[in-house]
Amino acid sequence: MSTSESIALQEKVKSLAETTNTISANFVQYKHLDFLSNDIESSGKLSFKSPDMVKWAYNKPFQYSVLFKNDMLYINNEGEKNNIDIGSNKLFKQLNKLISSSITGNMFTTEEFNINYYKNEKGSVVYFSPKDEKFAKYIKEFHINFNHNAEVSAVKMIEPSNDYTLIQFSNRITNQNIPDAVFAH
Amino acid sequence: MRFLLISLFLLTASCASYPKQHNFKETSTHNFQLENPYFSNPSIDYVYKSDIKVFNKSFSGIFIVKKMANQHHRIVFTTEMGNKLFDFEFLNKNFKINHILPEMNKKPLINTLKHDFFALIEQKPTPVQYYSDEKSTMIKSELLNKDFYYIAKNKQLYKIARTNKGKEKVTFLYSGISDNIASQINIQHSNINLNIHLKKL
Repeated sequence: MSTSESIALQEKVKSLAETTNTISANFVQYKHLDFLSNDIESSGKLSFKSPDMVKWAYNKPFQYSVLFKNDMLYINNEGEKNNIDIGSNKLFKQLNKLISSSITGNMFTTEEFNINYYKNEKGSVVYFSPKDEKFAKYIKEFHINFNHNAEVSAVKMIEPSNDYTLIQFSNRITNQNIPDAVFAH
Repeated sequence: MRFLLISLFLLTASCASYPKQHNFKETSTHNFQLENPYFSNPSIDYVYKSDIKVFNKSFSGIFIVKKMANQHHRIVFTTEMGNKLFDFEFLNKNFKINHILPEMNKKPLINTLKHDFFALIEQKPTPVQYYSDEKSTMIKSELLNKDFYYIAKNKQLYKIARTNKGKEKVTFLYSGISDNIASQINIQHSNINLNIHLKKL
């Protein structure tokens, strides 16, 4: 991708993120471990409320939800609730911030990442590799796929071992009111 | 006098061997070949939802076991969101840590998990002694220098107990068994407050 194309993509993603208050989407997650015959598949519903409330509600093959809200992690594991205070954990905070920003794709911060841009048939894919050494021990690279409308269609998180987690989004609905109950805990 | 008798009784009971405490008698005739089949098929990806309770804290994740070859297994634990918490490997009884979250990188914890997981994956433990009661067969074996008892009913393994001086330290209970796959596995520690429950996905 040329520099002007990458700047155009950045601007499109940024302006879209600025006007995005809520996102709801279905997601399918593929956990790839090199030694397995098949990826482990799970799926559910994502709800996002700007700037940083995110809920991942898995409903297949198990009922599990995790809500990121005010530096807290609220887990509901098949009815059993658990809270984790992530305020003190810098790494977790960083990860949470990244998860929020990867949903809109607005994470073009060159202080934090080395960034490379590529075109593909469905739009574009941007590779973000963390500069922070501690963080890079967990995630070697994020690949964020954008469709032609500059919406995130898939996120791939690649570990140093090259095992990865791929999340594909579908039925994305933006700026539709999401009931408060979704973000209650 | 009564107190003395009770004490004596308790003393004898606690000194009794594990099979004796459970009314099993030594036997030389048996019809059960000692084998733990539950993670033995290399063409299967064994994927379990796992709930762990440790010192009244609970957390959960995905527990994955793969037999790579004979005497070679990978065991990986991830969060539901896919973050790897640990990645262990057993090759010819040698234990290797491919990855572990720094917060979990504690020797006593790793040692406990190593012994638990080895018991899960060791397919053909060497039988040392056979016992039986009216319905079940019990077989003593040794894994990584610890005493283990394998208990089977109708030729199906349903319980493994790790013991020390005759006392149960860890029990592995298999249930919902079909085609050599256990739909639930419960690992209960009695000396530390640790329970691992695995549910097949």
